Amino acid sequence: MADSDGEYVEDMSDDDLVGHGVSQTVQSDYGTRSKAGRGAKRAGDGRLKPKSRWEDLRRSWEDVVETADGTLTIGELLEAEKRRRLLRDTTPLQRGIIRHLMLVLDMSFAMSEKDLLPSRYRLMLDYAVDFVREYYEQNPISQMGIVAMQDGIAVRISDISGDPVEHIEKLREWKEQQEPKGNPSLQNALEMCRASLFHAPSHGTREVLIIFGALLSNDPGDIDDTISSLIKDRIRVSVIGLSAQVAICAELCTRTNAGETSRYTIAMHEQHFRELFLAATMPPIARSAEQTRPSLLMMGFPSRMVTSADKMSLCACHHRPTREGYACTRCRTKVCRLPAECPVCSLTLVLSTHLARSYHHLFPLQTWVEVSWADAKSTACFACQAVFPKPPKSKTILLKGKGKQQAGGKPPPVEAKGASESGRYACQTCGSHFCIDCDIYCHQTVHNCPGCQGGSGGGETSGGHTNGVAMEIDS
Amino acid sequence: MNPLDVVDDSTHYHSRGTVSVPNLLTIIIDTNPRAWAALANVLPLSQAIATIFVYANSHLAFSDDHHVALLASHCNRAVWLYPEPPTPTKPPSEDVEMGDAGSGKPSQPAPSANKFHQFAKLEASVLRSVRSLIDNTTAADVASTTTTQIPGALTLALAFINKMHLAVMGGSGRRGISPPPDTEPAHKNHRRSRIAVRARILIISVSDSSAEQYIPTMNAVFAAAHSEIPIDTLSLRGSPTFLQQASHITRGNFINVLEPRGLLQYLMVGCASAGLTPDPNDNTASGNRARMKLGKQTPVPPQGGDGGDPLFAPRAESVDFRAACFCHGSVIDTGFVCSICLSIFCDIPDGGVCRTCGTKLALGNYGARPAVSAAAKGKEVQAEG
Repeated sequence: MADSDGEYVEDMSDDDLVGHGVSQTVQSDYGTRSKAGRGAKRAGDGRLKPKSRWEDLRRSWEDVVETADGTLTIGELLEAEKRRRLLRDTTPLQRGIIRHLMLVLDMSFAMSEKDLLPSRYRLMLDYAVDFVREYYEQNPISQMGIVAMQDGIAVRISDISGDPVEHIEKLREWKEQQEPKGNPSLQNALEMCRASLFHAPSHGTREVLIIFGALLSNDPGDIDDTISSLIKDRIRVSVIGLSAQVAICAELCTRTNAGETSRYTIAMHEQHFRELFLAATMPPIARSAEQTRPSLLMMGFPSRMVTSADKMSLCACHHRPTREGYACTRCRTKVCRLPAECPVCSLTLVLSTHLARSYHHLFPLQTWVEVSWADAKSTACFACQAVFPKPPKSKTILLKGKGKQQAGGKPPPVEAKGASESGRYACQTCGSHFCIDCDIYCHQTVHNCPGCQGGSGGGETSGGHTNGVAMEIDS
Repeated sequence: MNPLDVVDDSTHYHSRGTVSVPNLLTIIIDTNPRAWAALANVLPLSQAIATIFVYANSHLAFSDDHHVALLASHCNRAVWLYPEPPTPTKPPSEDVEMGDAGSGKPSQPAPSANKFHQFAKLEASVLRSVRSLIDNTTAADVASTTTTQIPGALTLALAFINKMHLAVMGGSGRRGISPPPDTEPAHKNHRRSRIAVRARILIISVSDSSAEQYIPTMNAVFAAAHSEIPIDTLSLRGSPTFLQQASHITRGNFINVLEPRGLLQYLMVGCASAGLTPDPNDNTASGNRARMKLGKQTPVPPQGGDGGDPLFAPRAESVDFRAACFCHGSVIDTGFVCSICLSIFCDIPDGGVCRTCGTKLALGNYGARPAVSAAAKGKEVQAEG
């Protein structure tokens, strides 16, 4: 413990995980140890050692800050925490919008552990339901299937399809009727995924997401061969571990993701698990090295038709009598739910709104930047009209932040770092100021800048693409 | 919550009267000057606003928990009408609701003692804002564009609703007061406990949808659908196709007003909702609203699940979901989509290069030769059926 202190901050911020945008610097600013101890140790030794988990205690009472008017608050830290989630790269990257994903759920003995409450197994299945919902909301024209690892074999939970209801029903069934048992087998699961994804068209992505609770894998053969064939079939694997790092998982993720190490993550607690799980709903960045062949897809945009109650007909997809449905634009077959593939002529049928749902991935909203007190002229949030705190009269009360940049004549930071000292966040395009709640809401849900769309920043904002237009390929 | 809230007659409708859920009605008025000029002999803007006051007041009168917000979607910007943004020239007042800091001005008549305070405040604020909005509109502004800033107004409305939601949830956007303890992403909260605020957006539309606003409009609409906020649209003029889709996606009503002079009746009967059927057990957005047959649309017979509703909304029978191609703007029902940027084309671009993102696209089997097998299958089925 003696030699584990000072360097820790730097150490962790170096290998920051880009994939889910965790900025450890914010956390380590306040989270770890009493300040006195840290300062004393830093002077002495230069050696560093990875810090144990138990040392990473968070003392919530240290978060409390006294504000200018004498009240206690943890508001700024909470803001920083909220904003941490938003700070991801907003360069418009080419993403694999049409995805084919196999979700592999560990249902082995290791999942009955109760270190995640109520138990790993139940928590995983609950989050899996959320994941399925979110996945189809973010990727309406994508497909997914679910596989379980149990008793040393891979068990199919639901087939690869575009229908969330089916997956959720199956997951619920499993939650009620099955118990985790036996050993997991990574190789069997991967081979099953490979077989399921074999027919996935070449313009879409092929992904496997594994939730892995165990520390072992009971494989019938050489998993290296499986990894090689996964690479050949250009399947990317991501793993979320629930207990500890496993070398084979790290290798599996690195090799199938062209050397990218951030695809293997370990959940530290329930909330972190959920974050990691749902982060996978974001379409992956397309790699130029990857052999996705972009292609022109033929799609039908059927209109909705409704018949009167006495003229009900069966839909071709579920064979159920329905009144309303969509007629395939090529063969007039009736399907009841979109998006779907026409069961007869296999034309992809979508609504134009399904395509629109994916546009915000292609044109992400730029991250807003913090506003220093010097620029804090606005009185209220542009969007929700919440009143901003007034600029302080003197600068002395600003010195409360630990190691933060002090206010003063410094130019406004161009890169967003964390919480803003003035509680304001500015869009760099239109210059409007927003509060933290609107910042989060606009970036996570709306994907619009109220200022740019509301015409606050000069006249030429009527064009819709204020979020950015260019797309680059990450190489 | 105010204990008196449970005494008023709205408890009659609530099955669990002790929990009062704030009900926020956000009205977006499309104030596109060109469109209102065209409507001037049928329904002048002043009369329309007076009518909207009646409607907003009726909503406020239901309960203390009912709130109203008004926005104008002007030709070049979206502005708040009520509550008014605090004026930047004056020192900011602590409360946003107190936006009428200028009430001391001589131009401002003292509010009548005979008028319900909320009504008076709303009226004064909206009239002042609209007047200043019109005064600040130059001829150049009107000439520069023919459309209206619906996406901006929708985004502002959603941000406001979100803020209110957070405030009701126990936290507050104001710094210094701790937000809700759960650390889930904000949009997750909505699904979990959207009942915290029952919000609704009503758009009084007079303009056509403009194609360049498609993406921002749809972004806002999906956010509304995500938070289960229905968007009702009352179209007095023009053809707001995006708003028609918006209402369908968010399960709101889309009413094409055939006779603009009857605006009040359309509002009161077609969109009056909030107080009539507040069924807390009904989780579907459509169930929260009154339903009524209006306009030309075909009626839908009452369904079993909705037995409690006195009024039935017209379900939009035919929503035009056909897409407009990016190359010619023509409406198509079968088209080609670039797998990279999802642009829609009505035919195969020259050389298979996407006209939007410039990617060389593999053409697959279509186009190169007639899709023999697929088409044959289709015909068989048609012949059988």
